[in-house]
Amino acid sequence: MAVEAARVNDDLIEALREIVGPRLSTSAAVCEQHGRDESYHTPHPPDVVVFAESTDEVAGIVKACARRQVPVIPFGAGTSLEGHVAALHGGVCIDLGAMDQVVAVNPEDMDATVQAGVTRAQLNTYLRDTGLFFPIDPGAEASIGGMTATRASGTNAVRYGTMRENVLALIVVLADGRVIRTSRRARKSSAGYDLTRLFVGSEGTLGVITEITLRLYGIPEAISAAVCAFPTVADAVNTVILTIQSGVPVARIELLDKRQMEAVNTYSDLEYAAAPTLFFEFHGTERAVAEQAETVQAIAADLGGENFAWATRPEDRDKLWKARHDALYASLALRPGCRGWVTDVCVPISRLAECITETTADLEKSPLIATIVGHVGDGNFHVVLLVDPDQAEEIAEAERFNERLVMRALAMDGTCTGEHGIGHGKMDFLIAEHGEAVGVMRAIKQALDPDNIMNPGKIVRV
Amino acid sequence: MRMPEPDAGIIARRSDIIAGLRKIVPGEGVIVDEDELRVYECDGLSAYRQLPLIVVLPETTAQVSAILSFCLAEGVKIVPRGAGTSLAGGTLPLADGVTVGLGKFNRILDIDYENRVVVAQSGVTNLGISDAVRHRGFYYAPDPSSQIACSIGGNVSTNSGGVHSLKYGLTTNNLLGLEMVLINGEVVHLGGKHLDSEGYDLLGLMTGSEGLLGIITEVTVRILQKPECARALLIGFSSNESAGDCVAAIIGAGIIPGGMEMMDKPAIHAAEDFVHAGYPRDVEALLIVEADGPEAEVEHLIERIEAIAKESGAVNVRISRDEEERLKFWAGRKAAFPAIGRISPDYYCMDGTIPRNKLAQVLKRIGALSKEYGLGVANVFHAGDGNLHPLILYDANKPGELEAVEEMGAKILRLCVEVGGVLTGEHGVGIEKRDLMDTMFTEDDLKQQQRVKCAFDDGHLLNPGKVYPTLHRCAELGRVHVHRGQFRFPDLPRF
Repeated sequence: MAVEAARVNDDLIEALREIVGPRLSTSAAVCEQHGRDESYHTPHPPDVVVFAESTDEVAGIVKACARRQVPVIPFGAGTSLEGHVAALHGGVCIDLGAMDQVVAVNPEDMDATVQAGVTRAQLNTYLRDTGLFFPIDPGAEASIGGMTATRASGTNAVRYGTMRENVLALIVVLADGRVIRTSRRARKSSAGYDLTRLFVGSEGTLGVITEITLRLYGIPEAISAAVCAFPTVADAVNTVILTIQSGVPVARIELLDKRQMEAVNTYSDLEYAAAPTLFFEFHGTERAVAEQAETVQAIAADLGGENFAWATRPEDRDKLWKARHDALYASLALRPGCRGWVTDVCVPISRLAECITETTADLEKSPLIATIVGHVGDGNFHVVLLVDPDQAEEIAEAERFNERLVMRALAMDGTCTGEHGIGHGKMDFLIAEHGEAVGVMRAIKQALDPDNIMNPGKIVRV
Repeated sequence: MRMPEPDAGIIARRSDIIAGLRKIVPGEGVIVDEDELRVYECDGLSAYRQLPLIVVLPETTAQVSAILSFCLAEGVKIVPRGAGTSLAGGTLPLADGVTVGLGKFNRILDIDYENRVVVAQSGVTNLGISDAVRHRGFYYAPDPSSQIACSIGGNVSTNSGGVHSLKYGLTTNNLLGLEMVLINGEVVHLGGKHLDSEGYDLLGLMTGSEGLLGIITEVTVRILQKPECARALLIGFSSNESAGDCVAAIIGAGIIPGGMEMMDKPAIHAAEDFVHAGYPRDVEALLIVEADGPEAEVEHLIERIEAIAKESGAVNVRISRDEEERLKFWAGRKAAFPAIGRISPDYYCMDGTIPRNKLAQVLKRIGALSKEYGLGVANVFHAGDGNLHPLILYDANKPGELEAVEEMGAKILRLCVEVGGVLTGEHGVGIEKRDLMDTMFTEDDLKQQQRVKCAFDDGHLLNPGKVYPTLHRCAELGRVHVHRGQFRFPDLPRF
């Protein structure tokens, strides 16, 4: 950062108090909590946290900060994995958790408008009697605003896409406190630049997202689940490629590697084979899901898949998927007291087997303990590195491993992050991946936030 | 329609500019004769015509890069052009601008079935991509009606859709990567064969940017396996309202058909007279609904859709028995525009998009406007995503009629915005809807969009006069570019 950011002073605190009254805190505990996410990154507390309840309040807060050139850091649920909420240059953290209203649901149009602090589970609970649901599920109990800001996805992106495909319009408070609406509820638009997509994934660096209009989907008539073990990762990945190529509209396909399966067997008391295993879910009509499962079973059998099991009743499905759901906690239990460093590369699916195989070989040579879980339908996989944050040498080893992994993915025409975002953890990889395009990103950042007050130090260096 | 005043200084330097371009693209690639330039004077919005200063047809990305650097250095405006099928005037030339045609970028570079991806140069036609992979059972999903002619680069520039975009999405949902050239000649690669890239979504931003941010030279798109089976229903209704209700009921039941198109009586009659698709003539509205996917699922969906149609008051339901009949159902819809061309000397095609539940209300108001102006309207539209294409029938030779059409068209689009919709679903803004942008966006919204423009092209050389009603100097927007004490483009015209 070229210019040192201005710090919060009493004058600003006073101005903020006029907007939010008592919903403001400078206590060390609150600030500490708002500078930390669920990652291994060092926390950076903001100087003050304000709890906004409306777009107007957010606009007022940003205006007050802009006038004094003090950084603004939006905070949703704090479930980021790349240090997005770290107040690297101090400043004002805007906690949007209290903006938790579902503004409108339009069942005929299958869309809903929510405030940024609404969480995914909250929205689906609200929708439960409409026959509709919002599918994106990043695992954590994230806020919709945060999911929008990081372009989150999850296990069913192979069927429903990521946040990129599912946000129709946004209300955003810009760096100077003005409020814009990027689009409307129409399903399609080619009117002007697609600012909606520009703000989706901008990680709070271009403005504060306060309201989001989302696409909803009909709850499928039937859901079935299947599990199948394979001799090698390559066989499992080839099964995925053939499944997608044969037009089976699979809703989720997850891969757990051998070590992850061992961990889950121990943690959840299950008896799966200790082998690379695929977990499938199919959505559709009764007949369709049965047929899809049969097609996949035939493909899997050709590639050496064993013990193909499938189920349609919810309790049986849950049992089949339990191993996947418990994966992260099972990994953490391999080494009590450690933290999980979750990598996030994504490659074209034709290179996935190669990338995972090389990564596994790399892991075997290193002292690190790790498991692998993949959203293989999208070519995205996570290595969960179990590290002790107090061991500097271990963190350094993990960093070197991650760098090799990212470079491997880039060499295979992939990307350094499939769904977690850049934050301040991956800025150098962004340059390695995009080259010239980073210059364009920087120009956009400067054009939309000339004083660099919006979540400074993330995505691109100014 | 006001366009920026041509810069006499540039026109006076025409022969120098021609010489400069010929150094970059030798031979016939630089077009200067009036007769040959005539070919480029308009696009699909033929009501507006203008001869370009020069047309250049580069063959390589390096040439495009050199052309843009040259134009930037000389301060010459640029109009990028694909196949010239824009319905909104997005490629209308400028008297003082160079039209850069991408017709020679016509090669498919890579077909990758494992990743379900095709990499093509930007001048390849939309259908050309599907044709290249059809023998393996794949296709490219967005299918604008002009797909035999329109270019994939142009599709990206306007975020084109088509009759199947309800289920399979628009261009932006099927685009994975781009190679593009910036105004300073830099070549940038965005995305690739993998899922979403990180950082700002430049790919999303470029999609629908109508040539204002850069020139697209290469496109990476997703191809899909053809569904195992597809069948269509032809459903007739005695009123537009009940057809609209049926659309809402189908979607409300959680069914996303492969396509769901609606036509009103004038459109049905015109299409039937033209292609004899077997449409019923005694209905007020017709829905074509297609279910696709595995056979078992299609059968089940057809049953459910038929039941919903009957509950919604359908007076006539036919289900395609075989592929031939299914294609026949579609033939009338796909030929609707030329069919209207047979019954009216001219027609003006609108492109507003509304929330689905406002369909019946908007159709009624369009009917009232039609009476008020004494101009016929035929409606064909992508009912599933609420994208209307009202065709206003007129005769350009009758004095004053085009003006009346423009006024009525503007009222229809304002109506779309008023009910929560947008001005354009898939054709783009171009010059056609430029002056209506302020009905949809506030001054602040529009300024923000132009700040983005400034990040790419602060001299406003790329396709000026399109999309935005007022050009703001980038300096006014808070980003001052002062070079040796002067603004870089002190006489930037405002209009």
